[in-house]
Amino acid sequence: MAKRLNSRFFPYIPSVLVLASAVLTGVFSEPWQAVVLLVIAGIAYINAKGTVKTIDKAEEACRTLNEQLCRAEKLSTVDELSAGIAHEINNPLGIIAQETQWIKHVFKSKSLQKLKEIEDCADSLNQICMQVDRCKEIVHKLLSLARELEPVIQCLDLNELVSQMTNIVKKEMEERNIKILMNLETNLPLVYSDPPLLRQVVLNLLINAAHAIERDGEICVSTMAVSPQSVKVIVMDTGCGIPKEHVDKVFTPFFSTKKQGKGTGLGLAICRGIIERLGGNISVVSEFGKSTAFTIHLPINRIPQGDILHGS
Amino acid sequence: MEKFRVLIVDDEIDFVETIVKRLKDRGLDAVGATGGKEALELMEHKDFDVAVLDVKMPGMDGIETLREMKKRKPLMEVIMLTGHGSVESGIQGLQLGAYNYVMKPVPLNDLLKQMTQAYERKLIEEGRER
Repeated sequence: MAKRLNSRFFPYIPSVLVLASAVLTGVFSEPWQAVVLLVIAGIAYINAKGTVKTIDKAEEACRTLNEQLCRAEKLSTVDELSAGIAHEINNPLGIIAQETQWIKHVFKSKSLQKLKEIEDCADSLNQICMQVDRCKEIVHKLLSLARELEPVIQCLDLNELVSQMTNIVKKEMEERNIKILMNLETNLPLVYSDPPLLRQVVLNLLINAAHAIERDGEICVSTMAVSPQSVKVIVMDTGCGIPKEHVDKVFTPFFSTKKQGKGTGLGLAICRGIIERLGGNISVVSEFGKSTAFTIHLPINRIPQGDILHGS
Repeated sequence: MEKFRVLIVDDEIDFVETIVKRLKDRGLDAVGATGGKEALELMEHKDFDVAVLDVKMPGMDGIETLREMKKRKPLMEVIMLTGHGSVESGIQGLQLGAYNYVMKPVPLNDLLKQMTQAYERKLIEEGRER
């Protein structure tokens, strides 16, 4: 903190000194000399202000870079860890599933079917199967999160893609009195990216928006060109919003505010993984109790980002 | 258009027959199946580039079929077709690696465009594996 103050205080010293000499000159010597000194003091002040601003900017840039670096490191550890866990758990899961199937088969034998308790056992077995399926699904998602999937780049019409995904959720939204507004830029350039991956992200965001609203509300989907090199997609909802303390965590794997058993907390983590692999970024702005907006920035021509994340 | 191999899977026989005929008419090598099991059997004997798969089918449903298809032929692209978009199966399908999830009824030209793009993707991925 002291260092911070120092680096901001020193640049002002010359202007202060000149100002002091201007005052002294004004009192003890010629007034016109004082005026010249005042002007010099002014210039020195403006200069100092500029310097401080530059320092601020540099520190800010340094901070964001540090954060990005931390996140990249964390991500690759999470990647490796989750892939490891997923593989290790997949095998025992497979065996459990197989054995359950076998027991189910054995239960069908005539001699056993006479037993009353067998029905209870069959129920339990079904439950086991269901839970195994659930675990498998989580493992599958983990793998897709960690999978070093190399995107397949194709030319695509983002407006068309967004409309298609909106169509899928439309009917369910109508039933819940959720309006979907479309605000698509008509002259949006074609984008070179991975269509199925983007579809997954957009649909995921739409589903999240609907979850946040539950009933009665609006989802607004917009696309726009940001620069000759990039476009953005915004999915905004008038739902419950995200509490301030959670905003930073929504993209973290396994972070979920949904009830236990509903949602794995991997949806947005996967979204971010995909968008970053496509050379873009995803961010969120939310007002608790009012609205949430997810913004995806995408390069028109994909910039390979994998190299940065994996350091190869 | 380049001739590529497509597999149409839907439990409505009429739909399958018509669309196979129309696709052949457009110069594609199209084959139909009326269920997931039949589709998987066909895949044993022939390689397909793109499959069009109905989500809601009796017996083995679209998602289950998709899972099996991707296990056996990861490079074959699959377009899911659905009567009434189910959000759940939509996201599931895409996560399992479907190329697209399209609402019925879909004009043949649109479907053809989707299939061509899916085929293009398969070519890119095959090129990478070599």
